[in-house]
Formats: sequence, C-alpha cells, structure tokens
Amino acid sequence: MWSPYRKRLTRDLDRWRDRGWLSDEGRAAILADAETGARSFNLASALGILASVLFGFAALSFVAAHWEEVPRLARLLLLLAAIWTGYGAAGWLETRGHTYLADAAVLFSAGMFGAAIMLVSQMYHIAGDPTDGALLWWLGTLLAGVALRSNPALALTMILVCVWSSMHAMESNLVHWPFLIGWGAVTLAFYWQRWWPGLHISALALTLFVISLGYLLADGHSHDLVAIIGVVAAIGFASLEKQRPDRDAIAEPLFVYAGTAAFAGLFALQFIESRSTGRLVALAVLTLVLLIAAISHALSTGNRGALWLAYLAFSVEILALYGVTVGSILGTSLFFLVTAIIVAGLAYAALKLARRSSGGGLTV
Amino acid sequence: MISNRKWMWPLLGGVAIVQSALLFDMIYERDRLLKSGREVTLAVRPLDPRDLFRGDYVTLGYVISRLTKSTTESDPDFSGFVKGGDAYVTLSPAPEGGWTNSHVGSVYPAKVAPGDVVLKGKVLSIWTSKDPAETTVNIRYGIEQYFVPEGTGMDLEKQVREHKIEAIVAVAKDGTSALKGLVIDGERHEDPPLL
Repeated sequence: MWSPYRKRLTRDLDRWRDRGWLSDEGRAAILADAETGARSFNLASALGILASVLFGFAALSFVAAHWEEVPRLARLLLLLAAIWTGYGAAGWLETRGHTYLADAAVLFSAGMFGAAIMLVSQMYHIAGDPTDGALLWWLGTLLAGVALRSNPALALTMILVCVWSSMHAMESNLVHWPFLIGWGAVTLAFYWQRWWPGLHISALALTLFVISLGYLLADGHSHDLVAIIGVVAAIGFASLEKQRPDRDAIAEPLFVYAGTAAFAGLFALQFIESRSTGRLVALAVLTLVLLIAAISHALSTGNRGALWLAYLAFSVEILALYGVTVGSILGTSLFFLVTAIIVAGLAYAALKLARRSSGGGLTV
Repeated sequence: MISNRKWMWPLLGGVAIVQSALLFDMIYERDRLLKSGREVTLAVRPLDPRDLFRGDYVTLGYVISRLTKSTTESDPDFSGFVKGGDAYVTLSPAPEGGWTNSHVGSVYPAKVAPGDVVLKGKVLSIWTSKDPAETTVNIRYGIEQYFVPEGTGMDLEKQVREHKIEAIVAVAKDGTSALKGLVIDGERHEDPPLL
C-alpha cells in the first residue's frame, strides 16, 4: 500500500475516533483491511515490469545482431525456452501471491514471443510484409492478455496494434481501417478487466488515429474532418458532463481527448494547410473562441485536465500565430492587438465565472 | 494476472502452446515453400547505394521489381494495377539461360506454359505519365531483403553493385516466393534447412 495513503488514513481515522464516530476496534479493522486488501503495487512490481521491458529490447537486439556464433536453431530454442520460462515463472509467482510480478513475467514472455517472430522472419529472409509479423505478435499478446487476465500484456497489445497500423499507413499512405478491429478488441478486453488506465490508453490510441485521418484521407487534406469530429465529440462529452454529473469520471477525460483531436485538426488547418491570410485569421479566431469556451467549461465543472490542456493549446496557438505573423511590423502589431482583446475577454469570462461559482469554484 | 488457481496453470500452458504453435506454423510454411517450390535464379540489380544497405540486411533489387509498360516484353496488362493490390509476373526460361518476363498482370494468368513460373507480388506504387506506355509499377515480392550477420553487409553490398550476385528464389504454385540463398560469383550460398 502506498504509504502516503496510509498516513492520511491513519490521521483521518484518529480524528473520527476522537469525535466518537468510530470505535477502537473499527479503526484497527479498517487499517488492517487497508493493509491487506489493497494488492500492493510496490517498487518491486514496478521494477519487475521495467525489467521485462528491458529484457524484451535485449532479445530484439540479440536477434537483430544475427550472431553467427550461435546456430539459428539454438537461437530459436533459446527464445522458445524464454517464452515457456516466463509463463512458468508467472504461475509460480501468482501462487506465491506476487500478482504484479506474475504480470511482469507474462509481459516478459510476450516480449520473447515478438523476438521469436522477428528471428524466424530473419532466418527465412521474409521481406514480404513486415506488418504480418506485427499482426501475429499482437494477436499472440492479446491471447495472453485475455486468457491470463494480464493488464500489462493488454497494454502491450494496444501499443503493438498502433505500431502495426502505423507501419501499414506509412507504407501505403492510406488509412489503415483494420486498426479499428484491433483497437475494439483490446478496448473490450480493458473494459472486461475494468482497468481504468487501460481505457485511457484506448482513448489516447483512438485520438491519435482520428488525428492521423487528417494526414491520410484526401491526400492529407482532411484536417477539417478531424477538427469537426473533435469539436462535435467535445460538445457531446461536455453536455454529458453537465446533464449527468454522476458520469463525470467518464465524461471528463473523454472531453480532454476530444479537445486534443479538435485542436490538432485546427492547428494543422491553420499552420500546415492554410494558404490565404483571410482563412488563417478566421480559423485562428475560431480556435481561440473554442479554447475560451473549453477553459470556461473546464472551470465550471472543475475539469483540471481540460483546463491545463486548454492553457497549453492556447500558448501553442499564440506562439504559432506569432511565428506566422512576425516579419511585418503591421502584422505583429495586429497580432498583439488580437491577443490582447482575446486575453481581456478571457479575463472577463473568468471574472463572471468566479462570481457565479464563488465558494464552489475551482481555484487555479 | 488471473487469480483462479484451478484454471491458471492450464491457461498459462495453453497460451505458451498456442504461441509456440504459431511460431512453428510460420517456420513450417516457410520450410515447405523452400523445399517444394520451383527454384528460379534471378539476377540481382544494383540499387541506389543509399537504399542498398540498411542495418542488418542487404536490399536486393530485381529487373521485375520495377516494370515499365513500354519496356516490358510481350503481353503487359497494366490496367488492373492498384496501389497495394496484387501483381503477377510470369517468367519463362530464356534460350540463353536465365529468365524473361513473358506476362504481367493484376490477376493470376489463365494459361501458364509448363516451363513457366508465376511470381506473386504487391504493387508498392504506380507512376503514370501522359504517355500510357510509360506507366511504371514498383512491385515487392517479399524476396528483397537478405539478412546478414552484423558488420558483414558491406562486402555483400559491394558485390551486389559489381553484378556478381544472383538470388535463388523458391516459388510455390500460387506464386508465393521465398529467398533461398545467393549465388556469389557462381558459388551457391544457402542456409541449411532448419527442420
């Protein structure tokens, strides 16, 4: 158990006992339960996961080195033995109660499986589809993640699905729609596991996929579509958050991811695509208005993630605008004028919001 | 990880068996192709040196890797080619030795002469110009990378550039091909089969 939590809990329990809400036995029982009930993710577990990742990279480099001193068959058998050892260690660690270390062992085996695929591809000079290897790898880790209910293996699967799809997209310059199948499968597994961080990984992967659409559809000129998807989704999640405050645990992070996609699309429209100054100004005004709306929404609902994202996006937007307007004195002057008006508007909005929600508002 | 004691060991074993089986299937497929496929020896064309050597493998270019309609001998059908789609190239034994491509198309040819070999590839890119005869396709067959031990690529790269290398390719009935080895200055270099 994390010791800061234990310290806080002990302090709170002492206070509650002093006020007569809690008996001494109750206090002891709660502490004992907190001590044993929470399966601890301690330093050893974190290091175990890191070690597995490092073992994986070591195995991949070992294969890449194509070391001739060890015969090919021996290299293959070595990797197969590593796969089986990892699963064996996972079972042994689980029976001893080290759940997180067992997960690390499963992750180790998943990495060795990938290295073995790479070795076979190398042995047979398979150049056909490097993506086939990635496909086989993520199918294998998905199986391990689902059958053994291993969250780290599932997280690796999502990363591999992304790698697999980006390899496809980079080679063909086309959208790799099968990504959605892999994404859906892993996301379902995360949901089945009720693993919250995993669902964050899913949302992040989908956000990246949506952003990539802008660069792949219509010869790379579909950023307007990305911006529209992002804005519509953000409005949807914002209204969900307003209407069902009990669902804010879901709506809040999703608003942040949708907002990220929207800003990425708008940014590309302004600074990668835009040809005319008039269009750039119109888009810049739209972006800044949307950012102010996002900031005010974040302030009113207490969505810290959205607030920081909007501040960050605002800074990036202003810097990029500065970058394109600087050069002519008139342009720079106009830039400062527009920025000043916007920031003044922002201050006014913040003032109104602070007055409306005085007492309950978020202080930043 | 899974905490159900009754199912844990069977599931662990199951995952390990499935993953091992996938690897063996991959090996078996390749091994069978190398042993049973028709053997074709193709001249290796030097590639742009910048593209030739990346990391631990040598990139091999072939005459049939890049086909221009006007210079393709007899019966080119470039109409059905799409980026990412299939490409079939028929090779016929040339009288003076070696192979010439006798047909190019996007579907498996209806008629294949007994001595001919059909290679299946994937269209990487299509270049079109105003003159339809100048249409050029880049095709990948999956036999373009030859993996070499770390640090030995340079010599091979030099030999590829000096036209001293031929590739031994095994071709299955459906056109799938695998790189079997190289002929360097008339000398056959081939990895012994694993199984």
